[in-house]
Amino acid sequence: MAETFVSMRNLKFLIYELNNAEALCAYPYFEEHNREIFDLVLDTALKMGTDDLYPRFVEMDREQPTFDAGTISVNPWLREFMAACGEGGWIGANAPFEHGGQQIPDTVMVAFRFIFGAANYSASAYPFLGTGAALLMISFASRELIDTYVPNIFAGKWQGTMALTEPHAGSSLTDLKTTATRTDAGYFNLVGQKIFISCGEHNAVNNIVHLMIARIEDAPAGIKGISLFVVPKLRPCADGTLESNDLICTATFHKLGYKGAPITQLEMGEHGDCRAWLVGEENHGLSYMFQMMNEARVGVGAGATAIATAAYYASLEYTRERAQGRPITAKDPATPQIPIIEHADVKRMLLFQRAITEGSLSLIIYCSNLIDRIHAGPAEDKERLELLLDFLTPIAKTYPSEMGILSVSTGLQCLGGYGYCDEFPLEQLYRDIRIHPIHEGTTGIQGMDLLGRKVTMKNGQALMIYIEEITACIEKAKGVEAIAAEAQQLEEALAQLQQLTMHLGGLAMKGEIDLFLADATLYLEYVGIITMAWQWLWQATVSETALADCDTEGDTNFYMGKRYACHYFFRYELPKLQGLATRLQQSDGLTLSMQAKYFED
Amino acid sequence: MKIAVLVKRVPDTTSVFKIADDNASVVTDNLKYVMSPYDEYAMEAAIQLREAGQAEEVIVVSLGDESCKETMRTALAMGADSGLLVKCDGAGPTSRGVAEALAAALKNVGASLILAGKQAVDDDASQVAERIAELLDCPHASVVSRMELVGDTLTVDREIEGGKYTLELPLPAVVSIEKGINTPRYPTLPNIMKAKRKAIEEQDINALGLDAAVLASHITVEAMALPRQERLTNVLEGDNETRVATLVKALREEEKVL
Repeated sequence: MAETFVSMRNLKFLIYELNNAEALCAYPYFEEHNREIFDLVLDTALKMGTDDLYPRFVEMDREQPTFDAGTISVNPWLREFMAACGEGGWIGANAPFEHGGQQIPDTVMVAFRFIFGAANYSASAYPFLGTGAALLMISFASRELIDTYVPNIFAGKWQGTMALTEPHAGSSLTDLKTTATRTDAGYFNLVGQKIFISCGEHNAVNNIVHLMIARIEDAPAGIKGISLFVVPKLRPCADGTLESNDLICTATFHKLGYKGAPITQLEMGEHGDCRAWLVGEENHGLSYMFQMMNEARVGVGAGATAIATAAYYASLEYTRERAQGRPITAKDPATPQIPIIEHADVKRMLLFQRAITEGSLSLIIYCSNLIDRIHAGPAEDKERLELLLDFLTPIAKTYPSEMGILSVSTGLQCLGGYGYCDEFPLEQLYRDIRIHPIHEGTTGIQGMDLLGRKVTMKNGQALMIYIEEITACIEKAKGVEAIAAEAQQLEEALAQLQQLTMHLGGLAMKGEIDLFLADATLYLEYVGIITMAWQWLWQATVSETALADCDTEGDTNFYMGKRYACHYFFRYELPKLQGLATRLQQSDGLTLSMQAKYFED
Repeated sequence: MKIAVLVKRVPDTTSVFKIADDNASVVTDNLKYVMSPYDEYAMEAAIQLREAGQAEEVIVVSLGDESCKETMRTALAMGADSGLLVKCDGAGPTSRGVAEALAAALKNVGASLILAGKQAVDDDASQVAERIAELLDCPHASVVSRMELVGDTLTVDREIEGGKYTLELPLPAVVSIEKGINTPRYPTLPNIMKAKRKAIEEQDINALGLDAAVLASHITVEAMALPRQERLTNVLEGDNETRVATLVKALREEEKVL
């Protein structure tokens, strides 16, 4: 196994040098914190990741959870791990003090979760699924529900989940069928099925608490009739004991990767006795759920980045040690072979991975920093930052997920035949990362979200804010010699983005909505590349300033590495915009006119 | 009872080490520093004694410059109550110098039990605890893998080749701890938050009547070299059954690949 799976140097560069996390401590909400605390949090994550999670990375893949009569048995260490996360305060770390949290900024906690994810993505899913569920309850549930469930989730004793998908309703939540019937006893009776519920059943905790969406019997059709419920596997009785809630796990799925965490099928109300407690108001469920979903989507981007980062370091380590071949100009076979990292094409593959992973991580930490500033910063900034975060969310979910797959694949390629074998972690990482463009909204859904919703909302304000932020970055970079040309390139790309968006918007104005959205995924890819170019230009601007005052070899190498990765992105990845732009401007509706029957034979 | 735990800030052994141009020191730029791992076991042992009601206070003690506070905060986040940093800037003291400075500071601490890791993982000298015991005229046990306190008597197991000694020590005593005595806890977030408010007292070595130059003067490092990387060859002997069993054992226990 490779020794390194993350770079703390890079993580701290992004957290402190770029996003100035210490400035958050000036806000009253974060005033109990300082950099020393943040560093201790990150060091603890690395220590737990190194000592506990990483050593079980392979084992949890090879020894998958087993299903037997409604129960799923997982790696026995996970019970200990959940307890450690609970006792350590990590599950509720960013919750308010009054709910047992420590109000740690998301900027830091996303890095914590990233470290866990790079060490062992499957293991990292268990505690932090609970975080999302508990924070959702804190935002919208009654005090009684919060007091009953949240402390147990934060303690790692109960697992929290998010239960949306049904067998016939995945991306199309409009069509979900799980039904809640009113009773006079303060709860609803639930009947239905859910599938693909991560950690929806397992024996590392004493109870599972689902934050589940369902339709109340007389609710309006469509998404306006969706409500959110707390549905436990075991329901707490007045005397403190737990009793069955008529919610059973009927199956687990056998997956390509991410095998250490079970994905389950659930059946509610087989005996008419599955109780569900309403969260907030009736028929507002989807908007509540989307509070968690938006952060979950940034979390998916973080998870993909984490896996791709582990792959990058594994391939980097290998290419430094593996001697193979000689310089192209060396003709004498008696000369010693050189480490493959010396070959230009191998350096290209490493630079590609670095450009993808560090660019993605930069965006993830930036988005988390936005979450913190929205939550705790000045009220007058809130709306602007919310719009920006809304705009960036589908990008932060998709770019790291889609490009992360290519990045891991390139890492695997660096190892040649060994990369394809399970003696090295690359083949597992390649399988593990594949879920990310699928869960929490597929890439297709994200494309439509970006173009159909985010670009057009509030008369295009979110897009304008996005452009303003990038323009401000470009202006700063123009004065930095090493990246002035890149600043110019991004300025031109941004102008093209506006022109393309006008073109597509024109289709929508003419009522050609199908055509407008037909290539939304390509538009998302296009905006993803621009967003990465922005993040790289920003990193390079900060790096170049630091480089000027740098007096150690280690720092010089680090910042020079940033310069090269930035140049790589602009010279190898940014030109891809042209192909996408060509296609997006054609708008000939090829995929619309293609008929299903033409796919026969 | 008060327990003092000696903690050393050392480079993480997973760091990439380079020898400096003087050929007699290590390049310290960009090294990541951690608490010496054996000291973590000592910290945990102290906290467990306090949690068992056998000690009232755990004080973490370190010697070095301001940067040591980072490591001491980790100890405070594990659960130590307070810290004492013996400030010593400039050239690093030798093991003897460290022991002299710490012993001088510890005289004012009033600890009945002084715990330390069995050695620090940077120089592996394994001298400081032993020297402190001598300077404070206390009994000392090293490489301790079990410890039990009854009244003022400490019973310890001391690891030796192929077995163990069981020793009794009257307090005050100095004990250096072997790994495996416990499982050091991770800092918890509530304790990390509390650590911020815990005091780290500073004591300058000059105020103890000591001189940094003298403390650093006992040893001169003439040259350093990185270990040569060689293939480790191990020829298995015996019949096939024995050789297979030995190989499986080695793969499982030494290489940890099975």
